[in-house]
Amino acid sequence: MSYLSLAPFIQKRPWLLRWMRPLSRWYFDNSGYRKLGLKADDLIPEESESVQLALKRLPPKEAYDRVFRMRRAFQCSLAHQLLPQNEWTTPDQDYPYLEPIIKEIEAERTEREDLESMIIKKRTTSSAKGGH
Amino acid sequence: MLSRSAFRQATRQSWLQQRRGMAAPASGSFQYQVGEASGIKFASRDTPGPIGTLGLVAQAGTRYEAFPGLAEGLKKYAFKNTDRRTTLRIQRESELLGGSLVSTHSRENLVTGAKFFRDDLPYFVELLAEVATQTSYRNHVMQEEIIPLIALDHKKFLASTSAMAMSSAHALAFHRGLGNPVKPSSTTPYVKYLTADALEEYAQTAYAKPSIAIVGNGVDHAELSKWINEFFGDARKSPLQQLTSPQSKYYGGEERIAHGSGNSMVIAFPGSSSPTGGFYKPEAAVLAALLGGESTIKWSPGFSLLGKAAQDAPSMHIATKSNIYTDAGLLTIAMNGSATDIRNTASKVVEALKGIAQGISKEDFQKAKALAKFKELEYGSEPQAALELTGAGLVRDNKPYQIDEVAKSVDSVTEDKVKQLVKEALENRASVSAVGDLYILPFAEEIGLKV
Repeated sequence: MSYLSLAPFIQKRPWLLRWMRPLSRWYFDNSGYRKLGLKADDLIPEESESVQLALKRLPPKEAYDRVFRMRRAFQCSLAHQLLPQNEWTTPDQDYPYLEPIIKEIEAERTEREDLESMIIKKRTTSSAKGGH
Repeated sequence: MLSRSAFRQATRQSWLQQRRGMAAPASGSFQYQVGEASGIKFASRDTPGPIGTLGLVAQAGTRYEAFPGLAEGLKKYAFKNTDRRTTLRIQRESELLGGSLVSTHSRENLVTGAKFFRDDLPYFVELLAEVATQTSYRNHVMQEEIIPLIALDHKKFLASTSAMAMSSAHALAFHRGLGNPVKPSSTTPYVKYLTADALEEYAQTAYAKPSIAIVGNGVDHAELSKWINEFFGDARKSPLQQLTSPQSKYYGGEERIAHGSGNSMVIAFPGSSSPTGGFYKPEAAVLAALLGGESTIKWSPGFSLLGKAAQDAPSMHIATKSNIYTDAGLLTIAMNGSATDIRNTASKVVEALKGIAQGISKEDFQKAKALAKFKELEYGSEPQAALELTGAGLVRDNKPYQIDEVAKSVDSVTEDKVKQLVKEALENRASVSAVGDLYILPFAEEIGLKV
């Protein structure tokens, strides 16, 4: 999940965010996955260890719903049909349920690597008083 | 008029005498100083040496747990992710500081603590405060780290006949409360009752100010008070649920469990409570030493009555222990070995008990008293000595476990008191549990005990 993105740059500037939001909404609506009843996080490629672990950590209800959505979308794709409009995913249903877990796992990994490549300096007696 | 050089020499001498502390602690140095900081009771004693030990004792052992498995879960969840830092960071930081983290639970208490260099006291007080107040209980940590370990504990328990016999004896003696099993013997405790939400609620009950006590060995009393005030200020003032356990009552009974590998038998009688509780009987410690079973001198059966009784079965292991809890106790005689050896020795054990009820030889009694006192003081000289007992005593009765007083009270035991204890034990119900080859292991009636 490490790709270059302008999203953090834009999110920090509220005026830019206001300008970009309609464009972003149009883009998500037109990408079409919502018309198959999917959420954005269903599209994350599973072939990585972090995502596999995140999928194991999903709460049971989210995991079950995810499987149902994928099966429904696959059936639509086989039949070359879109879902009827009342079954499309609405924008407030399209929240990131997997991404926070993936970020947590990535943070743990980077922390482990940081701690392992740490340089340790021996304490001097003057700095020893008063704990760490 | 004192000359300046004489004054200087006097202060230098007194400083030197303080430095001698490491070689020969004075008899008062085992005493705990009690205090209260930020609503939490704490006790400390400044033992000499560069290492300090700190323990957070919570009154949340298996006796008080709301559902089975919670105390074990909470013990295993100590030092895991908190709101501020991750498990890995806590481990690495403690390792770098040269400390070691300890987390255990017993029938009555949950002890989370650390051993460290004295200078690092503030770090470890902060760490314990984080563990108590800011641990975040997540389902994935339960599933990935905690429940597999408890499953392994379960397997280990089922493979050990001595653990099963001891657990069964406690259950027979106390039913609920102190009789709750410490290790799971089936998957129910950790599959049905142990979830992250249940643990979070239990933690908010266990780590509230009225139910914890902090005990330090080798730390300065004033320093400890200062750091507790700083870091434990925002602990919960009252527990989420009131964990009460009624006064322990002794029941008794017999249980026989079939097992394919190993044989154990435990005979148990009501004993003495902890010295901080209300039912303290120092004669239980002397009786345990008198019965004994394990010699302190190698290659000799020792003076203890059970050591002599077990001389015909050299491969059998027999041990007597006086288990003390806050308001009750259990004197257990545990035998491990082959089934025929246990069968033969069990009747000799009961004969030895009946012999004590009739009379004890003066020499044996003196030796038992000396051994009881020695074991008491030897236990007191360990750095973690009485950490748990002091914490439990502070929480429940507001009294620390003072080793010197206990050793003195052993001196006051007379033969009559010991005989009285044994007579009562034999008249009332005993708790007998046999695990192993049940065809050979005897019933309680067969060896002459009343159940």
